[in-house]
Formats: sequence, C-alpha cells, structure tokens
Amino acid sequence: MIEIKNIHKQFGIHHVLKGINLTVRKGEVVTIIGPSGSGKTTFLRCLNLLERPDEGIISIHDKVINCRFPSKKEVHWLRKQTAMVFQQYHLFAHKTVIENVMEGLTIARKMRKQDAYAVAENELRKVGLQDKLNAYPSQLSGGQKQRVGIARALAIHPDVLLFDEPTAALDPELVGEVLEVMLEIVKTGATMIVVTHEMEFARRVSDQVVFMDEGVIVEQGTPEEVFRHTKKDRTRQFLRRVSPEYLFEPKEHIKEPVI
Amino acid sequence: MEKAFDMNMIGDFVPTLTAYLPVTLYILTLSLLFGFVLGLFLALPRIYNIPIVNQLAKVYISFFRGTPIMVQLFIVFYGIPALTGLIGIDTSKMDPFYAAVATYALSNAAAAAEIIRAGVGSVDKGQTEAAYSIGLSGSQAFRRIVLPQALVQAFPNMGNMVISSLKDTSLAFSIGVMDMSGRGQTLITSSNHSLEVYIALSIVYYAVAVLFEWFFRVAEKRIKKNQTRIVTVFDMNIH
Repeated sequence: MIEIKNIHKQFGIHHVLKGINLTVRKGEVVTIIGPSGSGKTTFLRCLNLLERPDEGIISIHDKVINCRFPSKKEVHWLRKQTAMVFQQYHLFAHKTVIENVMEGLTIARKMRKQDAYAVAENELRKVGLQDKLNAYPSQLSGGQKQRVGIARALAIHPDVLLFDEPTAALDPELVGEVLEVMLEIVKTGATMIVVTHEMEFARRVSDQVVFMDEGVIVEQGTPEEVFRHTKKDRTRQFLRRVSPEYLFEPKEHIKEPVI
Repeated sequence: MEKAFDMNMIGDFVPTLTAYLPVTLYILTLSLLFGFVLGLFLALPRIYNIPIVNQLAKVYISFFRGTPIMVQLFIVFYGIPALTGLIGIDTSKMDPFYAAVATYALSNAAAAAEIIRAGVGSVDKGQTEAAYSIGLSGSQAFRRIVLPQALVQAFPNMGNMVISSLKDTSLAFSIGVMDMSGRGQTLITSSNHSLEVYIALSIVYYAVAVLFEWFFRVAEKRIKKNQTRIVTVFDMNIH
C-alpha cells in the first residue's frame, strides 16, 4: 500500500538518510529499531514531510509523490493520509483533551462539531480516558498525555499511523499503559510504522522489523529473522547491547580490538 | 509669574483633569487597536522570514523604537499634510487628535510586532508539527494553535506596553491635542500653579496605571490557569 523509495536527507554536511527503501502492506506493523542518530526518527518524519527529503519517492494508493519538490497540495494530501504520535506528545496546550482530538476532524476534515465530538469521545474511550474529556494537557500524567496523542491520531482514521518513540519520554511505570493501548490498535488491523526502543514490543507485534544504522537499513525481515537469526554483525552487536543481560555479561570477551 | 504652592489647588485640579481622561483613553484605545493589527502584519514576515518584506519590517521597527515619540508626533503631524498635499488634498486643518492616534498606532505597532514575535518564538515547534500531522494547513496551524498560545505568552509584555503607551500619550499636547496633559497646560496658563497641576496630573496618570496593572495581573492569572507550564518549587506554597 505504501511504497517508499530511495529517501535521502542531508543536514548540512551530515548525511542522515542514505537511500531508504521500504514497502508497507495494508494492515502491517513495521517497527524501526536502531541506535540514536541512526536516522530512524528523521526517516519517520520524512513520511509525512515534517522533514523534507532531498530525494525520494513516496507512493500511497498509487499516488506518487516526488519528495524533492512536492506541491503544497501534495504535502497537505499526504499529511491527511497519515497521523503521527510524538515522543514529546505535543498536545495542544491551550485545548482540552476532547478539543485536542476533535481538532483534526472539525478543522482539517470539516466534520460537523457534534459528529466530531462523538468520534473523539469514542476514541478517548478506547484509550481509557473517557473521564478526562475536559481536562487540559497540563493536568495529565505522561502516560495519559500520550494516550490522548494516540486518540488524536486515531480519530482521523489515517491510512497509516506513525509512532515516533512513543514511550521514550515516559516514566518506566507508565510505559505499560501506552504499549497496552498500542497493542489494542494492532489488533484492529491498523497499518503502523513504529520507531521504538521497546525490543520486546517489536519482537511480538511486528510483521516487519527494520534495523537502521548510520542512515541505511542494515537488516530487515520478520521478527524471527532479525531477532533470532540475525545475519549482520552490527545488528547482533546492537541487540546484545540493548538486551537486559548485557549489563551482567563478562566484558573481557567482547572488547573490540583497538586499531 | 508662579504663585505660592497651594495644596488645596491639587484637589480642585484633579476632577478638572479627570474630565479629559476619556480623550486620553480614546487615543490609547484606538492606537492600541490599530497598532496591534499592524503589529501582527509586521511580525508575520519577521516570523516566517519572508525576504525583502522582512527587511522592511526590521527597518520600520528599528526606526520607531529608536526615535523619541515627540519627534515622531511632529513628523506625522507635519508629514500627513505634506503627503496628502502631493495628491491635492488639504489636510492642514486636520484635528491633531488624528495625527496623535496615527503616531501612537505606528509606534505601538513596532512594539507589538516584537512582542508577538517573541511570543510566537516561545511556542514549541512541536505544536506546529502536531497540527500539520493531523492535516491542518499552515495558516490553520498558525491561527488556531500557535497564535493563541503566543498571545498568552505575550500577555505580560502587552500589559507593560499598554501602560507605557498610556504615559506616552501625555506628549500629544505638544501637537495641540486637548487630552489630559493638554488640559493641564491650559490650567497652568490660567492659574499659574504649575506644580499643583503636575502633581494633580501625576495622581490621575498613576491611578489609571495602577488600575491597569491590577487588571492585567488578574487577567493573566485567569488566562494562564489552563496553560501548560513547568511547575517549579517557586510555584509551590511552602509554609
């Protein structure tokens, strides 16, 4: 359903993305893992053109968008097909919870207020916040904020949901409630692209796991392929370092040779 | 010839001057209104860094912030008839009131532009990105998401601007506007009690300024009630 071809992005002299290709079928869950600075967040932000790639093609529904010179109309169209959940939530601070969720419906999609209210209320019930409709973001916990962020993205019924490290800013205790909500979304058959550090989540729910490092896709495949039958050394190294056992491994054996 | 200081005269002058307070407030309100709208249009090219217009706005703001308000008053007062004279319209008999409103509006616009720009700058970029991500257009994101939050941020500075603008209006008498200060000048001429008049003036201006200050403080509290801010230990009531 979504085909992404040859995405390049450069910040000054720093080549962040060096030709990324990805095909996502309808209903698929794709997780992108990798070390900080590998370009995974930048890649995700390229998909709704919050970041403008220097080169590349994104096609959704047979509509092909050349990312280098997209027209305003194309940018707007693409953003209407997608929705993003941010690491730092980015809830509209001056709007209540329900207003946050309604905004994309009433303003961007010209839905009638009553209808939008019903949709928003329903989405907020799904994420377990039906009793916080009139609260302001500042009155919520991190986990609650992120669940509003998810409801806001779900409400517009996008073709693909983009998650940018949705649990990375949360207290460890609150990560569970957000992942739980995301699991529920997976069950509904939504198409999702998730940048995450939650390896267990990636392993269990993904149809496709993508490991990125230094602006390229190093390895990709099913969770089984990437996590169990890892082919590349770099992936193996990364997975070992993020595993809970790493801390207690005897370190003498894994010292890298100094050149 | 100055007469001996007479405390009782102050009490007599205060109501006489207060009768002209509406003129002062009228100049203030009109100039703030026009100034704010013009300021918004000056701030936009600065915020979005639109070439050429941005430079022009910069020069405009820098000029009005860098020249004394009295000089601006005279430039506008003599400048308008000179300009309209070019196209054959005689405005030399124009009420100086309008020249004063125009000057203060132009001057307030420069101040407002900088305040709005700072306010917009203080709104997290993520707010705009979130708005884009759910399909809002650029102008929708600005009007509905960024600007309301920017104005809340800018509110305390706006309050200061109103009070300093109120004090600035006291110079409008120099081009012949009959506001509170203008009436003060005529009182001095007729009574020869300068000090008493100025003390009376200071009492009225001060009372209005304090009232404004109180109003803005209360309003700020109400507006900020629902805004996200980081609560620090300084916000907590520790007894």
